[in-house]
Amino acid sequence: MAAAVHPSSSSREMIMEAFNGHREVLDEFYDRREVLVKLSRDITALSKKCIFMLHRLMSDPSNTPGIEREQSLVAAKQGYECLKQIKSMLENAREYLRGNEFWKYQRSIAPGLQEFIEAYGFAYYLEHNALVHYADIQAYLSDDSGIPYFPLPPSDYLLGISDLTGELMRYAISAITTPGGRIRARVVCDFVRDCRAKFEAFAPQIKGLDQKQKATTSSLRKMEDATYAMAIREREYAASPERLDQLVSEYVSGSSRDHGWDSSGRTNQGDDHDE
Amino acid sequence: MDEREFGEITVQLEQEATLREKLKDESSKLDQKSRSMQGIMNKIHATPTSQLPKLIETVKPLIESCKQNAKAMAEIVPPNSFWRWKNTWAQSIQGIVFVLALCRFLEKGTLITLSEANEAIGVQEEWSDRFTIATEDYLQGIISLVNELSRLTVNAVTLGDFDAPFRISIFVKDLFAGFSLLNLKNDGMRRRFDSLKYDVKRIEEVVYDVSLRKLNM
Repeated sequence: MAAAVHPSSSSREMIMEAFNGHREVLDEFYDRREVLVKLSRDITALSKKCIFMLHRLMSDPSNTPGIEREQSLVAAKQGYECLKQIKSMLENAREYLRGNEFWKYQRSIAPGLQEFIEAYGFAYYLEHNALVHYADIQAYLSDDSGIPYFPLPPSDYLLGISDLTGELMRYAISAITTPGGRIRARVVCDFVRDCRAKFEAFAPQIKGLDQKQKATTSSLRKMEDATYAMAIREREYAASPERLDQLVSEYVSGSSRDHGWDSSGRTNQGDDHDE
Repeated sequence: MDEREFGEITVQLEQEATLREKLKDESSKLDQKSRSMQGIMNKIHATPTSQLPKLIETVKPLIESCKQNAKAMAEIVPPNSFWRWKNTWAQSIQGIVFVLALCRFLEKGTLITLSEANEAIGVQEEWSDRFTIATEDYLQGIISLVNELSRLTVNAVTLGDFDAPFRISIFVKDLFAGFSLLNLKNDGMRRRFDSLKYDVKRIEEVVYDVSLRKLNM
């Protein structure tokens, strides 16, 4: 230890000054993180509302049979309308997520971002009957000149899309009771099966995806069981699918109050981790 | 589903995996140095005060050699992704800050600043989006310094340096006042800061013991 050192008051002043600077840096970080955590929660809530709205529009009992495609398009359009709000929220936050800053806060914003991707993917599926691409979402989260608000992490894309399979399951199961819905349910079922197979390759690299794959698997099973039950009965009524439609709708209108898909489908899904 | 689209993600993820491996390799080199420096500095507890400058000289070349590691890191980390990868090397950096701060205190009795610490391991200002010492890692290193000085107080007295507790006490109190200026959240740093008061107390006790017996006269 240097023998001649007598820490003077100037050394204390230096330390206080330096720590005042550190406080500013830390305060800014904590404040911004808080803003983004709140934003993420708001985005989650809005996304969920949008998803519920899409379910409502698609399973509305007053929907006219035969124009399902048009209905999907109308629903998707309303979905996009609802999601615009989230887009502008993220646009406003771009200042906080610029350049090197993005990864500083990525974990704060990720839950909302994933939920948004799920909602967007749902609307997109209703519009195109296809999986929304990574590039589509990145393009959506960009300004008019195509500059992204922030680099979309592939992991958030995959995790968000993985949650989408749960929503598609609900959609398929509720569609199954509508005229023409059995075919749709099978299409959705095939789609989810395909998703699950393709995500499997990414599961080792992306933290949390493995868990979501399990949820996807259980959604898939539910759909497979439901489409199986329908297939069996379709054989029974092979001569008259209309008669089956009628039987189903009679059954549904009689029992949907206490055996709704919603309560049974929700409880063991495990796809609401972010809440 | 479109294979081509997943292809884009696959490529991104593969690049990330390769990068992660490279960074892990480089980080472990830095970690090794950080640990050997800490190992050398651990000898302060058994070294008489007069011999400390010689001990510090032995650690200097290692500090100097960290410049190469820092440069290598800055070259590997892609632009704008400092915060993405920082945790890979955070602990090593905290250890290095600790050693730098300890040497500075033993030599000059002052606190090394964040920018001086960056300078000591050759971090360039324009690397700030790739490789630099984050404020939180710097502060973690300084907390380690206080922990260490509380031990040194005891051991210096054992070795017959009765002035050390007084020098250390003033310095640590200043640091404690500095840390009190921060608005810490309930995280790791907060917990470690809360432990500082025990170090301050320990140092006070030694000062008391020494003064009581007038050993520092």
